[in-house]
Amino acid sequence: MSEQKEISLKKAKTASTKRLIAVIIGLLAFFYISAFWSQEWTVPGSRVSPLTILYRMFVVPFTSLEYLQKFPERILEMLETIAIAYAGGIAASIIAMPIAFLASRNIGGPLSYIGKAILNAIRSIPSIIFAILFVAALGVGPYPGVLAISINSIGMLGKLYAEVIESIDMNMVDAIRASGGNRVQAVWYGVFPQVLPDFASFSIYRFEIDVRASTVLGLVGAGGIGVPLMIAQQQRNWEDVGIILIIVIVFVTLIDKISGEIREKLV
Amino acid sequence: MYNEPPYRVFEPSEETNQNEQEVTCVIEFKNLSLTYPGGVEALKNINLKIEQGEFVVIVGLSGAGKSTLIRCINRMTDPTSGKILVDEEDVTYLKDRRLRKLRTKVGMIFQDYNLVKRLSVLRNVMAGRLGHTGTVKSLLGIFPQEDLKLAMDNLERVGIKDKAYVRADQLSGGQQQRVSIARVITQQPKVILADEPVASLDPPTSHTVMKDLRRISKEDDLTTIVNLHFIDMAMEYADRIIGMRDGEIVFDGPVTDVTEETFEQIYDRPIRVDDKRGDESDGQ
Repeated sequence: MSEQKEISLKKAKTASTKRLIAVIIGLLAFFYISAFWSQEWTVPGSRVSPLTILYRMFVVPFTSLEYLQKFPERILEMLETIAIAYAGGIAASIIAMPIAFLASRNIGGPLSYIGKAILNAIRSIPSIIFAILFVAALGVGPYPGVLAISINSIGMLGKLYAEVIESIDMNMVDAIRASGGNRVQAVWYGVFPQVLPDFASFSIYRFEIDVRASTVLGLVGAGGIGVPLMIAQQQRNWEDVGIILIIVIVFVTLIDKISGEIREKLV
Repeated sequence: MYNEPPYRVFEPSEETNQNEQEVTCVIEFKNLSLTYPGGVEALKNINLKIEQGEFVVIVGLSGAGKSTLIRCINRMTDPTSGKILVDEEDVTYLKDRRLRKLRTKVGMIFQDYNLVKRLSVLRNVMAGRLGHTGTVKSLLGIFPQEDLKLAMDNLERVGIKDKAYVRADQLSGGQQQRVSIARVITQQPKVILADEPVASLDPPTSHTVMKDLRRISKEDDLTTIVNLHFIDMAMEYADRIIGMRDGEIVFDGPVTDVTEETFEQIYDRPIRVDDKRGDESDGQ
């Protein structure tokens, strides 16, 4: 700062470039501001203004004991959501393994197309569709949520696992095959030790996604905190909606932080 | 150790050897050829006999077909024509269970050790027992006590028993190659194939590894075939030297017949400094 002739990392801009950038920024700002201005910020079917709604969602719950007392109950429902995500995630991370081995080119061989087709089919169906199907079949509750979460996670985990398997060092597999081991033994001793840390890391990452996903799944009746969220929103009970959202945000942030730390240690 | 297969019944006249050692032909190549799909002829009509207990070094420049030749013996590579006999059994077209049985008899050591780096040394050595262990038991990690003892004894023979529970990637290159020697002898083979076992090691370590390999091979009376391209190491450790060039055997004789001119003939060019690994003191 002290010297005038400081070396800049970037080449100095000419005056005309600077003008052009200013014009572009000005135009963008104009479009955004006018778009916000012309938008009618009301919730359909509600006469309350959006600012009031935000105020009721995120400020009012902290002002009265009546609302603060609701927090523990909602936290329990959040824990149910986490439990749904955990049960679904664990099931998925195990079931995805055999499919991933089938889908990987180096282990599955010519069968890998079948494995990949299964995984692609699963991934192309959104989890909310699975949830609606399972709620219709099994009734409202956490169980259909667990099933929807696990099937959807298998699609993604299977693909990620398969990519890990395809990137391993096949020399170790060769060594075990060369000493008379069979295919299963070669996979167990040569492949598993190499891929397990990555598998674990991806499973934890997927659990993070599952927590968020199972919040949404509650909206169709698949258990967890999504159910009261849906009811409160339909009743225009904005304080309740606010409480639930605050809890979701806090828990998702916490899980994000914890899983990030675990994954860092794994790889 | 092994159930003696029925074909190892010998004629009484053959048993008259004074040392009471069976001098049988362990490995035999008959008109063996291998052409890769691209049209490269890696092996051209190889005829070769390797006797029980010999320590054979195959020399040749890279691309001469040394690796392909020894990988045919345990069928990690399939020849296109001709026959390979191991222990008088035609192994050229073995499949599945019988191929795995062959591979328990023919152990292999690799240039890059091929250890499972995240597993302990002992687990890596026990991987050599997989061919002798049932699938379910090996998945559960249940090995007979005598197998574990064998593995520990073999680690002691290569001088790294104290590293048994250390993760394989914590060891130096020379130690890792010794683990792979321990793994291969824990397999209790009759033949050891070593594909450039010292190419990734420094000169002093190369010598200790080759010494270990030769000592164990002689102690257990194993037929050993080693690929090397260092001429000084070949002359120091081999009983017999086979020279290869362009997929053909261009020299075959006891080490006593070999001079530097022999290598010049095998390599078809003058000997250079980097054809030699150097003394044990080198690199220090």
